[in-house]
Amino acid sequence: MAPVVDRLAAEYQGTVEFRIINVETDAEGARLASSFGVQYVPSFVLFGSDGARQDLLIGEMSEEQLRIALDAFK
Amino acid sequence: MKRTHMLALAAGAVVLVVAAVALSSGAPAPGLIDNSELSRLQSEGARIVDVRTAAEFVGAHIEGAENVPVSDLAAVAADWDRTAAVVVYCAVGDRSDSAAGILQSMGFERVYDLGGGIVQWDGALAGGADSAPAAGAPEVATSGLPVFYEFYTDS
Repeated sequence: MAPVVDRLAAEYQGTVEFRIINVETDAEGARLASSFGVQYVPSFVLFGSDGARQDLLIGEMSEEQLRIALDAFK
Repeated sequence: MKRTHMLALAAGAVVLVVAAVALSSGAPAPGLIDNSELSRLQSEGARIVDVRTAAEFVGAHIEGAENVPVSDLAAVAADWDRTAAVVVYCAVGDRSDSAAGILQSMGFERVYDLGGGIVQWDGALAGGADSAPAAGAPEVATSGLPVFYEFYTDS
């Protein structure tokens, strides 16, 4: 997923903050994932600008699927 | 009849006998299985192996499963009974497909792969029961922008 997410992070720079976490190497990130209820990887969790959770996407996603989720913030 | 034809017939007969034995015992044929077939194999005492990472396993796993990441599988499974039923699963079915291939190449006779992985499992789960977030209240600090988290592993 890295190339897709990297591309989207560049495209949405300034409008959406991307936080990309490897749960194998980042213990704090793994705890955060658990606190969000994330049980599978890859998973994508989207929060609005007020910090409220908007969406949880589980599994491999196409660029188009991620773009639709991100565009919901516009 | 030519010798090659005889061999082909013999091989076909062996396949039929194996299939008949599997059907008569109520066990599904080795390969991809669904939730109901996994439930049946569970009740028969099959070894259920979660081949995801330890972090994923801790989050939630199928009740009764043991965790052997696919990268460790060949070494760990070296001592297992190769005639016993082994079910592998992962998140969505990619890693378990690799795991099933590893076990088959090691000579395991009854390897089952839960198609679709734990994402589509509708049975009991263990672990992660207290990990659900509280509903309603804001959950993360932001800089005023929407936040997009990706949680991933390299394996």
